[in-house]
Amino acid sequence: MTYLAAHPARVAALAVSHLELVGVALAVALFIAVPLGLWAARRPNVAPWLLGTLGAIYTIPSLALLAVFVEWFGLGFTPIFVALVLYAQFMLARNVVAGINDVDRAQVDAARGLGMSPPQVLLRVEFPQALPVLIGGVRIAAIAMISIATLGGYVGGVGLGVLIFNGLTLHQPQMIVAGSLAACALAIAVDATLRLAEAKTRPSTSSG
Amino acid sequence: MSISRARALTLIASAPAFARCAFDRSHVRIGSKNFTESFLIAEIYAQALENAGMPVERLFNLGSTQIAMAAMRRGDIDCYPEYTGTALIDVLHLPPIADSQTAYDVVARLFAQRYDIVWLRPSPMNDSQALATTPEIAAAAHLSTLSDIAAAAPHLRLATIQEFLARPDGLPGLQTRYGGFRFREIRTYDIALKYRALLENKADVASAFTTDGAIESDRLVILRDDRHLWSAYNVAPLARKAALQARPAIARVLNAVSPAITDQAARSMNAAVENSQADPADVAATFLKMLKGRPSQS
Amino acid sequence: MKAAQIAFESVAVRYPGSDRNAVDGVSFDLHGGELVVLLGPSGCGKSTLLRTVNRLVPLDEGRVVVDGRDVTQLDPVELRRGIGYVIQAVGLFAHMSVAQNIAVVPSLQGWTASQIAQRVDELLALVGLEPAAYRNRRPSKLSGGEAQRVGVARAIAARPRALLMDEPFGAVDVLARTALQRELVRIVSELETTTLFVTHDVDEAFRLADRIVVMRTGRVEQVATPLDLFDQPATPYVRDLVHAGDDVYRRYFVHARELLRTASA
Repeated sequence: MTYLAAHPARVAALAVSHLELVGVALAVALFIAVPLGLWAARRPNVAPWLLGTLGAIYTIPSLALLAVFVEWFGLGFTPIFVALVLYAQFMLARNVVAGINDVDRAQVDAARGLGMSPPQVLLRVEFPQALPVLIGGVRIAAIAMISIATLGGYVGGVGLGVLIFNGLTLHQPQMIVAGSLAACALAIAVDATLRLAEAKTRPSTSSG
Repeated sequence: MSISRARALTLIASAPAFARCAFDRSHVRIGSKNFTESFLIAEIYAQALENAGMPVERLFNLGSTQIAMAAMRRGDIDCYPEYTGTALIDVLHLPPIADSQTAYDVVARLFAQRYDIVWLRPSPMNDSQALATTPEIAAAAHLSTLSDIAAAAPHLRLATIQEFLARPDGLPGLQTRYGGFRFREIRTYDIALKYRALLENKADVASAFTTDGAIESDRLVILRDDRHLWSAYNVAPLARKAALQARPAIARVLNAVSPAITDQAARSMNAAVENSQADPADVAATFLKMLKGRPSQS
Repeated sequence: MKAAQIAFESVAVRYPGSDRNAVDGVSFDLHGGELVVLLGPSGCGKSTLLRTVNRLVPLDEGRVVVDGRDVTQLDPVELRRGIGYVIQAVGLFAHMSVAQNIAVVPSLQGWTASQIAQRVDELLALVGLEPAAYRNRRPSKLSGGEAQRVGVARAIAARPRALLMDEPFGAVDVLARTALQRELVRIVSELETTTLFVTHDVDEAFRLADRIVVMRTGRVEQVATPLDLFDQPATPYVRDLVHAGDDVYRRYFVHARELLRTASA
């Protein structure tokens, strides 16, 4: 705890840059994964293939993938950012597909029969009900990304990973502890916040 | 919310990512390799530049010389501390040169020619390989040079790290240059525990680097390389020519700092970080502050 | 608004991968304001036929004509907004309140908020649910019977000229079902909506229908009023169907209903 106590500003600054990295990567990942998931959810022959491919990417060891990206993009923010966006696809797209497919088919039939166009069915009936599942996916993805983003300290000088890798090199366990604790705290905070959001988007069960 | 509004929001949200990538080009990017001394010296360079008003980005902990050089040539970093011996042997694949000035001149000329990389002023600090022992053992066994070690080797136990046994200029080179001796016993240790073996009388001699912090804190003795096996390993700031052209102040600032890093300064700083667990940033800051207080040396 | 006229002309539908037509050569008309029941066992094609009217099922042969227009010439979304649709599973939107469910088609059509609010209360009263109590309730808090009342209200909210109902009371308990059947007759006669109603329950058909279309394996066996069906079945199959079970009670019921009809006509 001593490094944490002695250098609170440094740890805080790195925590902020860590959160920034994860936040931006998550936003861009959603921008890709949500349309992808919506497209695949409607197609029972496509969905398993897509999720299988994304799942395979997810199993590539993050350090290996990062090394390839450093080759392509150089050091710094970009390689870890791209790696995070790619890893997040699996968890996000999978939850979009699951959320949409979980929506009661009778509701979709009724919606179509009443005269909603396909986009209206999606936006007014399916998506709002899939949202809690999607946010669940965002929560899981965010926590995984907070962990994977520590590799940003290895090749980019970004985020709390800097403390962990510096601590390893300098044989200073206190640095490693500081970086790890801060990353855990971030993960817990993000998890709690998103659980709240998830709960809020579930259809309310209170009687009118 | 509608699809178009969601798209706009994510574009806006991702703007910082792209802004950052562009923005970073305006910083001076300092790299370091993945060991304490490289960290410290790079931190000294970084703070010196910051004190002179330049924005600095630190990309420390790069894995190896190859990675650091690749990063330099790609422009991912603008500057990092490198050793003349390492450049000679690992980058240029030339035989070692024991004389500091000659080694420096060779690498400076060839790097400028081949890579457009400039060697700024070197430090007196020479982080070469060495064998070390305690003053007591040195006195008792009359050890002051490596030739003495070679002669006494059959009675001596060596504590070392794996790398020393593998490097051509490690034990193999030592044995070749000094007449083919064998130690009584050789044991490898983790780099952090090596000197402990010496101090706990589990070994008589340990392989070392001349600027290891333990040499000062444990008051060890370095044996003289009388047959000049080992190359000079003076550290100097390496900078990309393009970066220097864009910011000539970089050369001025670093050239003022580099000559002040002596063997002794390096040892105390290494000891502070490794033994006393001081933060390299604090140690570097102290060094620079002390430098400011001294009359300037050309 | 005048009730719709619906006509089936040699309609045939075959599902991909099937070796026989689900609906085969069906032709009959619905007159404006009629309640016609499609009656038959499961698999006879009655639901498939129903869903050709709002183009949820595409035709392979023949035409479906609504108010003189071939449905394939119309925009499907507009067509469906003008035709009410009620299904057995109800399909109330779980994330919306009762009021929001009922308001779906009116809000798609751009009604104002106050028009919608008024219509919602009107409909809740019409289907026998106290507006103040039910307006803001969630579908998960409704009984089966209440849910289907809301389903009917939702289907007729935008004053469609036709109403399609696919075994709407099948999942409701027996007591509630009788009440709902009675209410339905009242509602559709008040609103003068042409209604096509699918069921496999003979008594339900007899209770609700102005005319009954008996179907078997995709084909029409007979189209007739309940009385004619009962007294003059066209085929042995129809005869066995309508006389199965408690046909003494049914006889009294059919005749009594016919008397009431002719009396009020």
